[in-house]
Amino acid sequence: MKKTAKVLSLFLILFTCFGVTVAGQNKKADKDTRNWVYEIEPVGVGTQGSYLIKVWSYSKKPIVAIEQAKKNAVHGIIFKGFTGIQGVPGQRPLTNNPNLEVEQAEFFKNFFAEGGKYMKFVNITNDGSVAAEDRLKIGKEFKIGVVVSVNVAGLRKDLEDAGILRGLNSGF
Amino acid sequence: MKELKNIIIVFFALMVSLSAFSQAKKPTIMVVPSDNWCVKNNFMTVYDNMGTRMKIPDYRAALQESTELLNVISKINEMMTERGFPLKNLESVMKTLQSQSAEDAMLTSKTGADANESPIDKLKKVAKADIIMQLTWSVNQTGPKRSITFNLQGLDAYTDKQIAGASGTGQPSFSAELPVLLEEAVLAHIDNFNAQLQKHFDDLFANGREVSLRVMTFSSFNGDLESEYDGKELSEIIETWVSDNSVKGRFSLTDATENTMLFEQVRIPLYDASNRAVDTRGWARDLQKMLADRYRITAKLMTRGLGQAQLVIGEK
Repeated sequence: MKKTAKVLSLFLILFTCFGVTVAGQNKKADKDTRNWVYEIEPVGVGTQGSYLIKVWSYSKKPIVAIEQAKKNAVHGIIFKGFTGIQGVPGQRPLTNNPNLEVEQAEFFKNFFAEGGKYMKFVNITNDGSVAAEDRLKIGKEFKIGVVVSVNVAGLRKDLEDAGILRGLNSGF
Repeated sequence: MKELKNIIIVFFALMVSLSAFSQAKKPTIMVVPSDNWCVKNNFMTVYDNMGTRMKIPDYRAALQESTELLNVISKINEMMTERGFPLKNLESVMKTLQSQSAEDAMLTSKTGADANESPIDKLKKVAKADIIMQLTWSVNQTGPKRSITFNLQGLDAYTDKQIAGASGTGQPSFSAELPVLLEEAVLAHIDNFNAQLQKHFDDLFANGREVSLRVMTFSSFNGDLESEYDGKELSEIIETWVSDNSVKGRFSLTDATENTMLFEQVRIPLYDASNRAVDTRGWARDLQKMLADRYRITAKLMTRGLGQAQLVIGEK
């Protein structure tokens, strides 16, 4: 009985430690997103209303980087935009207000929360499998490139409806 | 009870009219193939202009014969409608002009009178929009590979400025068909084009609409723009009025002679003092009224769309 209690306690401690580590990694990943520590490059011209992009995210755990790629993709398309490659033009960010993230901090805090609304507009292609050349070890961290598709038309419409972005026809 | 009902009706009418006034006049946009594209694809027509052979684009033939052009225009129209900004369709505008022209020719009153139409009215009967989206593409062939170079320019019809643009060459492909490559080009460039268009609209809301005003004189006018009224030359009176009535006094007087004045880059407010939407006609009409009320000068006002006005002094 005493032995079972010991094993259970050990298991609980290990489980809590793992949870704390993952939560810590997630927190760090969120901080990286806010600090623009990610890179975006186009992969090809997406289907109508969507962008097909590769997001490079950083984390000690590849799984965290893969998951954070979705958040980074939406964040980048709203605030950062991306430069083009041969044959695929870059795109400007959805907002041309450089202070939007600060001005609407409360909205974006909820929008980018764990399981937040951003999830609705992004899909990981190839079930999240990462090509060998897109998994790089830099120091203690991994730099992981994940190809995602972002429903830009839906994202823009949602932000316009919420009054965060101005529509092309607003004011007329 | 009846009184309360009346108050509610008046209140709602007021709300509706106020909301209508608070909307600025929306510019119209139309996609048109560029002259360059029309020349390269042999959609030009030649006419004799008093001994000089003039080549002009034949849009009707282009739309009837080029399926690619129709598809590209259709795709752009579709994507702009999705953004809440439906465009004027070139083909429909041309058909409407044709049917209107036929109807006007047959129009008579019960007593047999024809509809009035001056030579200027006839000249103005062309397909027009406030912003032209000028479209050009060319197909590049390298061995078996093909790619599309695509160029979309947003041109302000009144200031002649390019207010938006997107261009580039797509990825070469061995197998993709031309319509697929063209669709890809539209999808790749339309968002960048719209981002610049949005910037133009933001500027318009912040600094007023950019328009041009041309002042001329009829030969029947007793005097010219250098004639003095209350110790000031007429041109000076007009220039002062434009300065006082433009946003932050922003305008350029490009040409000024005794017979003509050309004001460009004039920023006019989007709304008047009663919050009513203003276009160049409404704005220039105030100048026309000022000249009539203060100096007993009659002038004829003509406009083109939202952004170009012409005031001819002397008579109407």
